Amino acid sequence: MIKEFKCCLFGFGLIGVSVGFFGLSSEVSAQASHLFRTYKHEVPQKLPETQEAVAAGKKVYEKRCWYCHGIEGRGDGPASKTMFPKPRNFTRNEYKVRSTTFGSVPTDEDLFRIVTSGIEGTAMPFWYTISETERWQVLYYVKTFNEQFKTETSPKVVSVVSVVSTPDSVQRGAELFKEFKCFECHGDDARGNGPLTVALQTEWGMPYRARDLTKAWNFKGGNAGEDIYRTISTGFNETPMGSYLEKMSDEDRWHVAHYVKSLAKDMMSDVVVKVKLVEGEELPTEPSDEAWNKATPMELPLAGQILVSPRQWTQSIDAIRVRALYNSNDIAFLLEWDDSTNKQEDVFRDAVSVQFPTKIPESLKKPYFAMGDSSGAVNLWSWKAYWKEGFGAIVEAPETEPGTVSELNAKGVKNITVQPPESQNVTGKGVYQNGRWKVVFKRSLQTEDAKNDLQFEIGKLIPIAFAIWDGSNSDVAGLKSVSSWYYVILEKPVPKTVFIYVLFAIIMGASIEVWFIARLRRFPPKLEEEQE
Amino acid sequence: MAKKRSPYLLVKVIFAVVCLFLFLKYAAPKVFQVLMAKEHLMPTPSTLMMWYMIMGVLAGLVYATTSNQKFADFLGFLLPEKGAMVKSFIRKMLFFAFPVIIGWFVYTWSIPGAASPVELRIQHPTLPQEFEKMENPFRNTDAETQRKCIEEGKILFQTNCRPCHGSKADGNGPFANSFRLRPINFQDPGTIATVVDNYLFWRIKEGGPGLPSEATPWDSAMPAWKDDLKDDEVWKIIMGEYDTAGVMPRQREKTE
Repeated sequence: MIKEFKCCLFGFGLIGVSVGFFGLSSEVSAQASHLFRTYKHEVPQKLPETQEAVAAGKKVYEKRCWYCHGIEGRGDGPASKTMFPKPRNFTRNEYKVRSTTFGSVPTDEDLFRIVTSGIEGTAMPFWYTISETERWQVLYYVKTFNEQFKTETSPKVVSVVSVVSTPDSVQRGAELFKEFKCFECHGDDARGNGPLTVALQTEWGMPYRARDLTKAWNFKGGNAGEDIYRTISTGFNETPMGSYLEKMSDEDRWHVAHYVKSLAKDMMSDVVVKVKLVEGEELPTEPSDEAWNKATPMELPLAGQILVSPRQWTQSIDAIRVRALYNSNDIAFLLEWDDSTNKQEDVFRDAVSVQFPTKIPESLKKPYFAMGDSSGAVNLWSWKAYWKEGFGAIVEAPETEPGTVSELNAKGVKNITVQPPESQNVTGKGVYQNGRWKVVFKRSLQTEDAKNDLQFEIGKLIPIAFAIWDGSNSDVAGLKSVSSWYYVILEKPVPKTVFIYVLFAIIMGASIEVWFIARLRRFPPKLEEEQE
Repeated sequence: MAKKRSPYLLVKVIFAVVCLFLFLKYAAPKVFQVLMAKEHLMPTPSTLMMWYMIMGVLAGLVYATTSNQKFADFLGFLLPEKGAMVKSFIRKMLFFAFPVIIGWFVYTWSIPGAASPVELRIQHPTLPQEFEKMENPFRNTDAETQRKCIEEGKILFQTNCRPCHGSKADGNGPFANSFRLRPINFQDPGTIATVVDNYLFWRIKEGGPGLPSEATPWDSAMPAWKDDLKDDEVWKIIMGEYDTAGVMPRQREKTE
């Protein structure tokens, strides 16, 4: 009995361990699924800063770094023209991610961390792929571009200890976010759309953008609580993001850091947009309708359009969120994306388009994902923000103006046709609120123009792709953000027959089991010794 | 030889099968991620999983039938026994679980699913004839010219190719995550190190749209650079690309 008990305990222990492992592994997969690479804090033993190290660093720099940062460290390398944010100009003290006070130069360790981890949301890659020695050497060389490193040998360091977040702290942080007017740049909903950020845009030598704090994948210098606390404390040199070291108590800075951390969300990416059936109800036409909550949202990343000239190397919109519903007649999409302004200028208008093949593909073959090709036509639903007649003026799209919706076909970028008025079946509208565009598209599942319009079918995987234009980023025509082909599926409701199958299977299973046990009891397995 | 009885053999076998399942489902993706140094998990393909599970169950049964006594123990667990509370509890659980698991299987098979489709493609289609004969005009020049070509090529690579293929030619550029067909990692020994210069020339010139249909041209985000880059520039980019990635092109076999 004791042995049995032991054995059983052992079994439960193992089950416990495996359940624990299950929990652990699912957490690991959640971390791996987002795009963010962690900002590595550990720094190994420093290499002595000698003349030889600097000379060796020059070699590394001129092999790997100068293409972006420039041969003289001015951030004007030949590759810098295809990037935004621009590479760091090492001759000025515009170092952003530092543990030192505002205006000071970073410590060697800070530079080491940046070289090792890279900077998210920028072109700066991680360099842990080169040896630690090389990393120390190259940063010693980079320091020679700026005299301030010589005069300021021991900058004051702000120490960061870890403080655990609590709901109260997040709550207090939200209040402080208002009190200290963080929203003036970062916006009420922290989407980087505050009035100041928009107003100050052209005053600086280079445009800057306040961080969209809801996008966890774009935090410079890490998105952990300690990283956010460090940024609030030390600020970003040469940007309006100042230091709050003197202005806020240590405790308050932690509150704000916890609040900001609570806002930062990972991209919930997937491959298939699942369209929910709403039976016997009208589909929502307003972007802010509660009914949209019934649909599962899916987010997907966007890249600049770099396939054909002119190319958009410096795209400003990097994600779109999609939700969709259908009923027996219609299908409706809600598309949302963060845009720091709704400014429109001349031809540069905020816009979005959804792309489908004109027919659901029978095989693997699809039209080319960027506007189709001669062998595969696409059907496009386009929405453009309001534009008042006039030239050169900058206007904000008013909230009451729904924008213009049109339906197009394309067989390649040079072969785009707007469908004639009698074939325009898509309706929709857009609303701009707190740094986010919300656009609704609605169409009947089937149309009369079956040659040029996609005909939706329930339960089939239909390719879908997206493009977004940001007027304030001078996006127009080919200058846009694009996605790859994804899929959309109109979810089949679970048929009632499934439950009959399941019930039948359970009864069958139970019957076989009972029969087997009954047989086993009648003819129990016996060993020869026992029979004697 | 003293016979050792193992009254819990059935439970042990079931436990082993469950462990195998948990390993394949949750631990293996992580293990292979580490072993193969990938940045993402490596989930076990579902068909492979099914075969491993079938083999696991069979192995369990084979083990249970290696001797008459083992088999008697194996089945004997299902027989009622007086006074064995724990045993009787586990037995009841098993009786209950069996039909439920069958029901669950039937349910998951028969509900309409929305799994993403299998998108098979050939990564290295055959080099078209017209590119076969071409030769990189800078490969057999003197060292100084070569060095200059590599440097010019690196500048062009960093300007035009870096946004997707990355500064290190490791397929980790800022746009890399945004294309479902990820940009190729040229440092990977299975990519440009296995082909000749001409192959890259073809790929850069014709891009995604120039691929044959077995390589799914409609999903490729590789631009066709024939309108934007001159032949010389492309050859230089190729040299700069190999240099940045730190690999060498495949050498043509001497046929004489």
